[in-house]
This record gives sequence, C-alpha cells and structure tokens, in this order.
Amino acid sequence: MEQIDCDNKTTREINTALRALISQGETEICVRNPRARHNLAVGLIQPAHIVFEGSVGYYCGGMGDGPTIEVHGSAGWGLAEGIMSGTIVVEKNAGNGAAAAIRGGTVIVRGDVSARAGISMKGGTIIVGGSVGYATGFMMQKGTLIILGNAGMALGDSLYEGHIFLGGQVEELGNDAVVAETDSQDAVFLTQTLAAFGYDAARYDFRKIVAGRKLWNFDKKDFESWRVAL
Amino acid sequence: MCGIVGYLDKSGKKNGQLGVTVMQMLTALGRRGPDSAGAAVYTPRHDEAHILRVKLGDHGDFAERAAEVIRRVGARSAIQEQAQDKEYLRLVIGYEGTPQDLQAAIESIHPDVEVISYGAALDIIKQVGSPRALDQRFGLERARGTHAIAHTRLSTESRIDLSHSQPFWAHGALDLATVHNGHITNYHKLRRLYEQRGVRFYTENDSEIIGIYLGEQLATGRSFENALRSSLKFFDGSFSYLAATADAIGFVKDPFSLKPLIVSETDDFVAIATEAVALSASVGDDAPTWEPPAGSVKVWTVPGQADPEPARSRLAAASFA
Amino acid sequence: MSDLPRQSQVWNDSTIDDIQAKAELGRYRIRGFSQLRERPIPSFDDLTFLPCTLTRIPLEGYREKCNTQTVLGARFASQPIVNDIPVMITGMSFGALSYNAKVALARGARAAGTSSTTGDGGMLRAERENAKTLIYEVLPSRYGFDVHDLLAADAIELTIGQGAKPGTGGLLLGSKVSDEIAARRDLPAGVDQRSPARHPDWLGPDDMILKIEELREATSGRLPIFVKMGATRVFDDVRLAWKAGADVVVIDGMEGGTGASPDLLLEHTGIPTLAAVCEARAALEDVGGYGQMQMIIAGGIRSGVDAAKAIALGADAVYIGTAALIALNCNRPLYLDDYRALGTAPHHCHHCHTDRCPVGITTQDPDLMQRLPIDEAAERVTNFLHAMTLEIQMLARACAKADVHDLEPEDMRALTLESSMITGLPLVGTRRVFGGGPGWKRSTQD
Repeated sequence: MEQIDCDNKTTREINTALRALISQGETEICVRNPRARHNLAVGLIQPAHIVFEGSVGYYCGGMGDGPTIEVHGSAGWGLAEGIMSGTIVVEKNAGNGAAAAIRGGTVIVRGDVSARAGISMKGGTIIVGGSVGYATGFMMQKGTLIILGNAGMALGDSLYEGHIFLGGQVEELGNDAVVAETDSQDAVFLTQTLAAFGYDAARYDFRKIVAGRKLWNFDKKDFESWRVAL
Repeated sequence: MCGIVGYLDKSGKKNGQLGVTVMQMLTALGRRGPDSAGAAVYTPRHDEAHILRVKLGDHGDFAERAAEVIRRVGARSAIQEQAQDKEYLRLVIGYEGTPQDLQAAIESIHPDVEVISYGAALDIIKQVGSPRALDQRFGLERARGTHAIAHTRLSTESRIDLSHSQPFWAHGALDLATVHNGHITNYHKLRRLYEQRGVRFYTENDSEIIGIYLGEQLATGRSFENALRSSLKFFDGSFSYLAATADAIGFVKDPFSLKPLIVSETDDFVAIATEAVALSASVGDDAPTWEPPAGSVKVWTVPGQADPEPARSRLAAASFA
Repeated sequence: MSDLPRQSQVWNDSTIDDIQAKAELGRYRIRGFSQLRERPIPSFDDLTFLPCTLTRIPLEGYREKCNTQTVLGARFASQPIVNDIPVMITGMSFGALSYNAKVALARGARAAGTSSTTGDGGMLRAERENAKTLIYEVLPSRYGFDVHDLLAADAIELTIGQGAKPGTGGLLLGSKVSDEIAARRDLPAGVDQRSPARHPDWLGPDDMILKIEELREATSGRLPIFVKMGATRVFDDVRLAWKAGADVVVIDGMEGGTGASPDLLLEHTGIPTLAAVCEARAALEDVGGYGQMQMIIAGGIRSGVDAAKAIALGADAVYIGTAALIALNCNRPLYLDDYRALGTAPHHCHHCHTDRCPVGITTQDPDLMQRLPIDEAAERVTNFLHAMTLEIQMLARACAKADVHDLEPEDMRALTLESSMITGLPLVGTRRVFGGGPGWKRSTQD
C-alpha cells in the first residue's frame, strides 16, 4: 500500500499526490494523519482504494465517481456529497448532510450522523449503523436510506421516490412521509445489502417510509383555471 | 459567521494547559474567521476579589481616561492590581456593590469607555486581527484556569472593531460570557423590546442579545441549563452558541441544526468546537466526538476543587513578564 | 365631463383581479418573465453619459480601436476565462427553456466570442459541444449534477439565488416536467418541482469557504469559481464572497427574469440592478478587492447602453437572460392565435410557466419547439450580442476610452435625485451629490 502523510502538506498537495498515485496505477493508498482536514479525495473519477487513518473534515470523497474510501475515524459535513458511484465507509460518526445529493454509490456510517443525512439524494444507498438527526432524507428523490438506530424529527420530509428503512424509533415523521408495507423484495434487498457490511438484517424490525405524494403537485381544480391563474 | 470553541477541565486542576489548548483550537479555526478573535478565560481565585477589564476607547492616548477609571473605582473599592496597555485597563478589585453600579460609574466617563468583562473568575481578551495576536499581545498560551470559551469572527453585517468582537460579556451579569456562530434573525425586534425597558446595547451585532437574554434569565433565579434551554424558543435564526459562568459551560444548538458544533469528551475534559479540525489540533483524535442533535442543550460544571493551590498566572492587560 | 366612473388607485384592476384569482386558487400566483410592476423603480434610464466636448478628446467612433476583451477569474484560478466581449449569456435551465433554445444560445454566444451558462438540471451535451466557453452552475437542488460535467466546464458558478426570487429555490411546473426533464432531474414526471432554497451540504458564508475549496480541489485549481446571488444585502454579501475566496461575484438585480416564480417574489424582493451594482462596487473597495475579484451584474440588462452604464459603475461584465430570449423571438408578433389562447398578446406575454410558449422557447412541447429552428435563432442571438457590443464601444469611444473597461462613474451624471443618491453621481446641472456612492465605503453602521 502506498502511503501519504498529511502532516506538513497543504490540502492541494495531498490531493495532487493522491491523483498522481492513482494515475500511475497505485490504487491501494493509505493516508495518515488527516487530522479532520477538509476536502480530501474530492473529485476522484477513477477507481482506487483509499484508507484514511484518522478523522476527516468536510466533503471527504465528495463529487467522486469510482473510489472506495474507508475512514477509520469520524467525518465532518457533506461526507461523499454528490458521488456518482463508489463506496465510502466511516467507522465512527458523521456530521450534517452526510451523502447529500448522491446520485449513486454506497455510503455507510457505522456510528451516528447528525442532521439532513441523504438530503436531496438522487440514487444510491446510505446505511447508518447508529442514529440519525433532524430532517434525515429531506427531499429524497431516489435511492435507499437504511437506518439501524433511531431517527429524530422530520424524518423523510418531502420525499419523492426515495425509500427509507428504519430499524429503530422515530421522533416524528416529516411532511408527507408515510409508513408503507415492506414486501419480500425489500427483505431480500435489506438482507443482502446489510450483510455486505457486516450487519444482520434479521435483528431489526424495519419499517418502510415513502412519500404520501400529497406535496408533489399544487392543488388545482383543472388546467384551464390553473393556466390563467397568473 | 465564525468559529467558536469551548473547553472545560473536568479533572479539577487549575493549572493545566487551558491557554495552550484554546490557542490551538482558535488557530485551527482561523480561516473561518479572520476578522477578529477573543477568549473568555475563567481562573478561580481564592479571595473575594473580582477581575475588571475596561476598554478605554478605540484610538488615541488613554492615560487620562485610565487615570479617571482608577480614581472612580478607587473611590468605591480597594484596588489590588492594575495594569494598562493601550486601550485595555485591567484591575483586580475588592468591590462589594452591584456590577451595574460599577459599570455605570466607569462608562459615564466617556461614550467609548466600556467594561469588557467583570467577574470573580472571568477575564475576556479580544481584538481585531487573527488568533495569533491573542497570544502575542496577551500571553493567552500562559493562561491557567478551569474553563474557557473563545471565538474567531468573520464579519457578516456589522462592524469589525473591538467592541463588536466576541466573546461578549453579558453586561451587568457577573462572570457571564457568550460566543455565537450564526445569525439571530429576530434580533432587531427583540432589541426594540429590550430598549423600551431601558436595556443598553453596546453594538449592532446580533450575537450580543444572547448574553442580555441569559443574564436576565439568571437574574430571575433560573438555572443556567434552563436559561439555555428556554433560549431555543426565544431566538429565531441560526445559532450554535456557547455560554459560560464562573463554574459552568454550556452549548445550545438551534432547532434546525443550521450551524455546526462538535463535542469531544472524556473523563478529563470536554472540548467543543465549530469544526473537528480544532479538536484534532488540540485534544487529538482519540476521544469520542459527536455533533449534538438539532435543538439540544448541554451543560458541564467545574468539579470541586481538586487542586487547593491558587491559580499561578493570569492574563495581563499587556504582555507579561 | 367624463362618463367614466372613478376608480380607486388602491383597489385597481390588477388588485381586484389578483384577489379574486387567489380566492379561487387558495395559494400564491405563479408566472414567468420579469417585473410587471406598475410603479417604476430606479434604473439605468436615470443616468446619462457625458461624452467629450472641449475638456477631453473623443476617439473616432467608427474607426479607432476600442477593446472589449474581458478576463474573468484571474484572482485564484489557473485558467481564467477570456471572452471577446463583456456580455455573456446567463444561466437558464434546460427545463425552463427548450432544447433548441439552449443550443441556440450556446451557438450564438460562441459566434460572438462569449460564454453561455448551464442552469438548474445540469449540463446538456449539446450545450457543451456548441459553446466556446461554458459556465457550469452548482445550485441548491443539484439536479443533474455530474462531476464529469464539472470537469468539462470552463468555470463554476456556485448559485446561492437569483434576482427574480432571492431566498427561495427553483420552480418548474408539472406540465414542463416531461419524461426527459424528469429523468435528467431524477424526479417523477409531472410533479410541480419546487427546488430547495438552500444548498444541501453547506449553510452560511463560513461553510461556503470550505465548499469553494472543495470545488477548487476537485478541479485542481484550474477553474474560476463564481458566486451568484440575488441582490438583497449586496454590500455584506459581496464582502463575504471576497472573504470566502470567490474569483468572481455575480449579482442579479430585482429585474432578473425567470421561467416560473411566485408573482409576489418577482415584484417585492431584491433591489434594483442600478443600486445593486453600486453597492457591489463599494463593497469591493471596502475589502480592497476592486480590480482583483471581478463583478458581473445581471437583472434587466436590455441593451449595450445598460451594459455600458453597468460597466462604468464598476461591473466587469454583464449577463443577459430575458434580453437574449427576446432576441430569440420571445414576445415576437408571430403565432398570434396562440398568444390569444393563452389570454395574452405579443409584448405582453409572461406565460413561460405554462409550457405553451408560442415561439418555442420556454416549452418542452416538441411541436412548439419546431417554431425555433436552431441556426436562425442562434444567428439572432449573435446579431444582438454584436449590436450590444457596438453600442458599448460607441459610448466608450465618445468618452475617449480605448478600452470599454475604462468607462468610469465620472463619465455619467444622474438625471434624478434618487439616482444621484443611489449612485453618488452629481445631479445634472449641479455639482451636488446627494448621498450614496462613497458613503458606502464605511461600514453600514456609521
């Protein structure tokens, strides 16, 4: 495994070193002493396996398309924001907006996340081993969010076609979020997806949360009256 | 918008690394707030004296004003220590009256004269410029004490000058200080309500209103924690803030979790900061860290005195010997 | 003696109509286009130029060189963008606009040597292929956001809001959320898309410092980063954009247009572009950023005259949106029956939100879009950009400037008291400045 030591390097130097190693074909990389630095491994569009030994700051792995990233510590805001594909695993906790607006890929936080995890998700999968905070899954458009622990207020507020599976308790569902029946396909999906990361789906009594679809359109009588309503 | 930090030594020692830790935290956050920096340090005393720090103005020669402050304070109480450096005058006094009376006596000297802090343990240092200047000028790294809160500022809507910098002492409330990241959006409305009742504001900075509210709550006999909790309903807008008294520190996180705040805690300390980089640079990465939930409040109290020796150093008005 | 009964100015035609429409709708009213205010607001029309007479010597209007090249993003980016002219096409979404409109704008801008900008919903491949210089918007919604498109762009525009509806998110009504648009935005077809007002991963200018750094890191420092904002607290916001490390700040005034917005926001939010550009320049001077961070102004720029005045007041470039669409054919007297069917007429149409645009610009209906053949439309855009450029140059030469960026506030006077106060320019016929201008150089609290 190639090593990069973050101490005494600027963020630009660390990211430049990562890109250089990856383009040389060195795709197993260990990054030491990240010390909660921001913006590490952002915008990487080639496959690579990167391990951060320690905690990272904001946007780690953001805007990526391909890498597998492990964080052996905690992460700040916007973990893996906007990724198209790839896998990001955080061993401890993550801050606000974890996996915000992702379009694909898988993001796992084994500890807790704070507010707005999965906000504006457009695809992909998020797994949280612990609990989630305020407005988790806000405006989720597509994709799946699996929460093994408890959820705070406004869970799944303003959902589109995203699905939330909740293993624990919820303080309050968000606007237009409703509990739906899980089916055998859901069970298979949960079993397989969670097993890949060492979790046993059978230990949880998952509830599925989807959109009630009442907020998808303005109330209107018919197109005619609505069209002239200027 | 800013970076805020807080630290409380749970081990009960008074002579640990408080100043060094606070400097490390502030320096790590410096980019988030390059306009001004300040710290509120709590160093308990073994006598009944109080620490009084006065700003003599923003520009000019302050010798005359300093002399007048000393004369007026001296007429009301014993002065154990005094030191002046440019705009700052720091006194240790044995005053027995109310903070309001003392403040009025001092601030009536000139509109630019302001009591920056007053308390049995509290001393606030702050100035325009980066965090490094706090050590260069005041020797912050040498500070000892039980707890501290501190702040680096990125000015949004109000001025950049000393009075507008944080931490804010809650004028009139012994030992009460606050640091705030975010923007109180009902500040003007609340300020008008307070001013109608005769409360004086010293700045146009919305953060100032937090201490005013808390001071009022504490004066009614409310507990520190309940005062913090009640502020969640009172303030509108975005806020992660820290408040401290002579023996406690607490945080409040707004109901929408709009501003970041990370807590790191072991049996020996609790450290709180806007970003984890500040914790990493000071207390390291090993302690558990978590971001408090939306709408949450927590308070930590200084434990009983484990170290009977008085604190061996103090922040200077000027740099120290 | 008039036979007409008296009418209240308070309860006039449009107010009565408005209340009764809401009594049917049970919600706010939505429409497209720009301001329809009955009372005029301060505007560039309140200023006039002072070309040379005896005290200065003009350049030959049709002959001597007048440079229009405009560099944007040199503060930090290693690859600033270089446009041939100081007029650019602003961000408008594929969704709000038709495919043909987006491609025509890109192609027309390229032929004029300038840039175009993506919009909500991401980048169209045809846009990238047809544009010389393409600016990629990163919006709160992140619909269609793709790192590969980011890496293929020439600049990044981090969009906080727009002049038409600051403090709120995008809006695209269900009839325009076609299968194609829905797929691009990862939404169910036919929903009334109301985008988030905030970015999902940062809140506040202190976080924005980190977000800008992320965008720089992702592009290895190559691309200029623009921060685009609706004109509200412009002085404070521009100072914060400087402190947050933007290369360019974009301010969009209240006259800014949109494909769909609640009517109340279009009319009653934001400040006029005239005031916004003055506040923005004062903010740049206050932080010492004037000349280092470029400023682009937008919002109701109608001609080279407006552009020249904006540049003289301190802008490095202007964006056009509505004007570019009008050059495409918006509100042109064609297909008159279709305007009528919408309940409007040419020169009055503001029905972009309905998906029934009679000239094929703001519609997803393929039949209507056929009315906007790309090449002819692109040529009209190029012609209009050329016309604007010639207008700017003519004014610059008359004021003895060999470079349009040398136009200064001192080349103009104010025609009204209000515009004198807003701009700090003397009122015509006097040497008197009534306020504004340099007064902004201090903190607002003095």
